[in-house]
Amino acid sequence: MTRWNNGLDEVEAVSPDITDETNALPAQYFTDPDVHEMEKEAVFGQYWVYAGHVNCIPEPGDYFTRTIGDREIIVVRNHEGDVQAFYNVCAHRGSAMVEETPMTDPGSASRIQCPYHLWTYDLDGDLASTPRSFEEARLNPDLEDEDVPELDAEENALMEVHSDRIGPFVFVNFDEEPMSLDEQAGKMKSELEALPLEEYQLARRIVSEVECNWKVFGGNYSECDHCQANHQDWVRDLELLESELEVNDYHWVLHYQHKEDVDDEMRIHEEHEAKFYYFWPNFTVNMYGTADGYGTYIIDPIDEGRFQLVADYYFEDPDLSEEEAEFVRTSRQLQEEDFELVERQQRGLDSGAIAQAQLGPNEHTVHKLHRLAQEAYEA
Amino acid sequence: MSQHHQPAFTIACEACGVDTDTDSANEIVAFYRRHHRQTGHDVVLTRADLEFDLPVADDDLESVVAELEAHYDDGVPIGVVAAVMSERGYAVGETLEEIDDVRMTGALYEPRDDHLAAV
Repeated sequence: MTRWNNGLDEVEAVSPDITDETNALPAQYFTDPDVHEMEKEAVFGQYWVYAGHVNCIPEPGDYFTRTIGDREIIVVRNHEGDVQAFYNVCAHRGSAMVEETPMTDPGSASRIQCPYHLWTYDLDGDLASTPRSFEEARLNPDLEDEDVPELDAEENALMEVHSDRIGPFVFVNFDEEPMSLDEQAGKMKSELEALPLEEYQLARRIVSEVECNWKVFGGNYSECDHCQANHQDWVRDLELLESELEVNDYHWVLHYQHKEDVDDEMRIHEEHEAKFYYFWPNFTVNMYGTADGYGTYIIDPIDEGRFQLVADYYFEDPDLSEEEAEFVRTSRQLQEEDFELVERQQRGLDSGAIAQAQLGPNEHTVHKLHRLAQEAYEA
Repeated sequence: MSQHHQPAFTIACEACGVDTDTDSANEIVAFYRRHHRQTGHDVVLTRADLEFDLPVADDDLESVVAELEAHYDDGVPIGVVAAVMSERGYAVGETLEEIDDVRMTGALYEPRDDHLAAV
């Protein structure tokens, strides 16, 4: 039974049993600004979150920035060729250093320099140099030059953020002692790393703002019970009844069978299906069954009622063929159809009538999403 | 019979083919900042319904802000400046760059965050 805000029904935590009537996250978690603030730490500060793709920063010194919650980081390739992530914060007086630099238009620098007082850092984050005014005390009558302590390069390095990779995908974690990415990703890691993902280049990034909570969209992405009614063009070529929704610890996979088999050249993966991975909390990998390429989504919250969908499309050649451009257009059509659905759901949630919705028996992927959210809030 | 509400502003990214509606002038700028952070793209206004006639002053930003100040008590929202400058062919990012340039000359200041006044 759905629980209404009628003064009679009470909400409960998400039941681990999907057949219980309290199998969904209470509505407040989709509409409350305090929840949005809390999630910055409880969700996006505790789990591995996608930062970007290494192919966008191929050379030492290449970098991009990424903002997760209130944290702005620099993702940079160092002189050894490794990718590291640092807070975009100078060790001197806490200034942000580099301007926002999207992955689609990366920057390049031999060193990272703060424009405020010109503290300069090597690509591995160590302090490389400071101006003379930090080495001598000519303006301070109370100090002799020899009293000025030398600044240790490592002790005054940039603050590094835990980072790790699944193939070319860079993830970061702000927790002091995070679980390993291997643990969070489970078998998704080995499955994705078996594919030649590095051989594909970012061809298009399309960013849309959608008026719903990020978890509303996440839930919509995670099931296809709505597809027959709302994605009629797309499902025409699918055997929806043969689809499989596979749930793992922190990710779930949607397997969609095509009615007619497609040439192997039209897929990056081996299975004759479309395969969509949702990786908690807000990243998806979209293995299309009908295009030699793949896509990713970042489901980035703006506030409790809005998010940005950052849709990246990867193909072997970043200059899209006519067919590939048409494929991206079809993908955008699907997005727009979904935006209409999720914005309508948010409107209903915002009206305050419902206290705790209920999930259907085949929405076990959505149930997993809600349970992980609940787990994060209680941690 | 209810009337369909027409939002005051529509902002679009021509490169992404996406747009958004808002009634808040400064949401124009917030949208630009969020979108530019992810893509590097500039955005344009495809609709701007201001509650007053557009200033007919020179195209220079300082004059535009000075004329708009008559409509506001505590600074002109920069989104309104962006809307007016869009009528003069400026994308939102171009207007913000111009604002930064003019502010650095000392001719404009912010009496409060994201609101402009002429000195």
